[in-house]
Amino acid sequence: MSALGGLRVVELVDESAEYCGRLLAGLGADVIKVEPADGAPSRHIGPFAGDEDGLERSLHFWHYNVGKRSAVLSDVQLSDVLGTADVVVHTLRADDARARGLDYEVLSATNPRLVVCAVTPFGQDGPWADYLADDLVLMALGGSMAACGYSPLPDRTYDTPPLACYGDQAWQTAATYAAIAVLGALVWRADSDRGQFIDVSAHECSASMTEWHLMNYLCTGKPARRGATAMAVEAADGRQVTALIPDFLGPHIFTNLLAMLEADGVAGPLSDADYADPMYRMHHYNEIGNALARLATKHDADELFRMGQQAGLPWGVIRAADEAVEDRHLVARGHFVELERPDGGGPVTHSGAPFIAHGSPFRFARRSPRLGEHTDDVLAELSR
Amino acid sequence: MSSTAPAALSGIRVLDFTRLGFGSQATLILGCLGAEVIRVESSRHPDPIRVMPPYVPRPGETSERFGNATMAAKESAVSMDRGAIFFKYNTGGKKSIAVNARDPRGLDILKQLVAVSDVVTESFALGTMDRWGLTYDVMREQRDDVIYVSMSGYGHEGPDASYITMGPTAQALTGLTHLVGLPGREAAGWSFSYLDHVGGYLGAVAVLSALLHRQQTGDGQYVDVAQLEPATALSGPLLLDKLVNGRSSRRPDFPPGNRRLHPAGAPQGAYRTAGKDQWLVISCTTEPHWRGLSAALGAPAWADDARFATIEARVANADELDKHVEAWTSTKDKYDAMTLLQSHGVPAGAVQDSRDRLEHDPQLRAREHFTSWPHREEGAETLPLEGVPFRMSATPPSTGGAIHRGPPCLGEDTEAVLTSLLGMTSEDVAALQGDGVLA
Repeated sequence: MSALGGLRVVELVDESAEYCGRLLAGLGADVIKVEPADGAPSRHIGPFAGDEDGLERSLHFWHYNVGKRSAVLSDVQLSDVLGTADVVVHTLRADDARARGLDYEVLSATNPRLVVCAVTPFGQDGPWADYLADDLVLMALGGSMAACGYSPLPDRTYDTPPLACYGDQAWQTAATYAAIAVLGALVWRADSDRGQFIDVSAHECSASMTEWHLMNYLCTGKPARRGATAMAVEAADGRQVTALIPDFLGPHIFTNLLAMLEADGVAGPLSDADYADPMYRMHHYNEIGNALARLATKHDADELFRMGQQAGLPWGVIRAADEAVEDRHLVARGHFVELERPDGGGPVTHSGAPFIAHGSPFRFARRSPRLGEHTDDVLAELSR
Repeated sequence: MSSTAPAALSGIRVLDFTRLGFGSQATLILGCLGAEVIRVESSRHPDPIRVMPPYVPRPGETSERFGNATMAAKESAVSMDRGAIFFKYNTGGKKSIAVNARDPRGLDILKQLVAVSDVVTESFALGTMDRWGLTYDVMREQRDDVIYVSMSGYGHEGPDASYITMGPTAQALTGLTHLVGLPGREAAGWSFSYLDHVGGYLGAVAVLSALLHRQQTGDGQYVDVAQLEPATALSGPLLLDKLVNGRSSRRPDFPPGNRRLHPAGAPQGAYRTAGKDQWLVISCTTEPHWRGLSAALGAPAWADDARFATIEARVANADELDKHVEAWTSTKDKYDAMTLLQSHGVPAGAVQDSRDRLEHDPQLRAREHFTSWPHREEGAETLPLEGVPFRMSATPPSTGGAIHRGPPCLGEDTEAVLTSLLGMTSEDVAALQGDGVLA
């Protein structure tokens, strides 16, 4: 049995929060995506199948909407559906929700068990509440961007800008937090029999995903300067491997690294007894980088990655996003799933379950929906 | 925030063996939602983040900066309670007990705690808890409906289950590193462990959904969370582009820096502003954005250039357009420019570093995002912690959790937890502490 079996989620969202419904659908909820008659705007976000824009051709839409149903509803029909829902997720600012009769006070008056979750760029209030933001703006304001980019020149100035990761990471973080809050509200509802209103600020979500940066500033008084990812080495085939040497995990890290370097005859000065002392290593860290670079020239990236892992080191080849689909381990876990294309083009592989839940498997019960595909079903269920 | 408000996870107890970043992030979220999170720790095998520099400076001290060099240097005997920064932001609202699981008496206490816990979480390397004798089957003998969630890099199932990850490893393997960079160059990647956050989010989802499943069925379960798996969904359209269109994202013009391909826009990117290494992001993807930008800049003559007349033309001539925009931004303060552009309906935002977020950002301040919680050694006036980025009207979440506390000292709650939950006496606890069993 699924975790959210029997629960109905109504989704009234733009592209910023579709990932929330995707997660809830995978957990087993009946997620009804309510779309305008001409389709959700995300149906026109590329890339497109065959590079041709069309309602059923957006690969972006396919990915973020698997497992959902689609219904085109009048305001009255929507109101009726909301009366039967357990959760509504929307992306309306406070005034817009009120104008559409979708503010929490109205919804909860007829359905007090309803959990209402609003995902907006800055939250429902505050001086920036009406500002416009897309994912890029949120990555800038949240701090990820200031922390990421290429390293400075030798004179410590930068000739490249701060960089935001491609692919809507701030939106996805906000949508994930929305799912977390909804699940928490559902756990509480089982005891209290009451719904509630959830206000997710994508800006706050983005500002919460920079790991050590904020606390580091508090302790040192200086924001960390941005620089390229640590310990990437170029392998013989020209591909890069992230080759971390996390000494803090224990003395086996250096011991195992040294054995690997010596087996290939590239240890150089690292074989000196001095290097057994972690403080000495700290002061000669560039020699470790040099030795890694020598090791890397002798192996292709995939081989180097697995050599490191077999030695107990957290190494990984730097893949393009689509290359992970061939990872033997993820394939063996059944992570990737085949779902039909909504354009009738047959099955295609999608990213699947985020974990293996043995008692309530995460799975998508259906492919991404065509526009209005389930309108009649949803209305028929109302009259039952 | 009212201390009398109920919490979403009130009454839910989590016996928490997580350590380092990713697992700790998951149980941090559960604590924020009001679960009683009891960290099980050991002074002989401390969580590395308890002792990893830099530390919160004491009066008169300046702290070292974080970096590979300092990470190598944790050998020195540092107090377990010395506010190490990685520990700080991962453990607000959690309790801590000290137990030596390798001593039979310690293991017996842990089994008794499983019996009174709803959830057991851990993030050890594969097989660690099995070697103590604390397998899922043993846990179920203690409590039939226990929810056991393991969080590891590769998960406990699959051919490479013995592999380990840190955030940057997982980011490399799943494409996230490659997605940060300029066209034609090597990846710049992330300077932090984004996937420790993402893994933590999904670890929390695993626990919460298992609780909902238990509410419906009465059954517990085992959930195997692998840090790699949630990451593949973060670039889903790129996977489909490869499989449907044959277009891999490993190509010379990808990733496109700060430009976005879908929808394409211009001007779009980071622009230098006045000051040293200060930047503003502008992202114009519609005609109204463009008209607003032109108005905000006082309708400059270049805005009427035929090369910028349509969105397609602006995207095609984006490099030229960027020069005009940056000539304007480079004389402006980043926040002044942001405010002006926003007042004209243009999506724009300052590139904020940690100092900006803490000391300037009026939105985070108005939303009371940063909160401080008392610490046994540091007292009430502690450094602020990042807050919970969502509000709940009936069950307000809080970084201080249901206990309204900051990060715990090692074993701070040993006596209180074992006397209240297991009926042990303070003398029993003290004796076992003396024997090194509760240490």
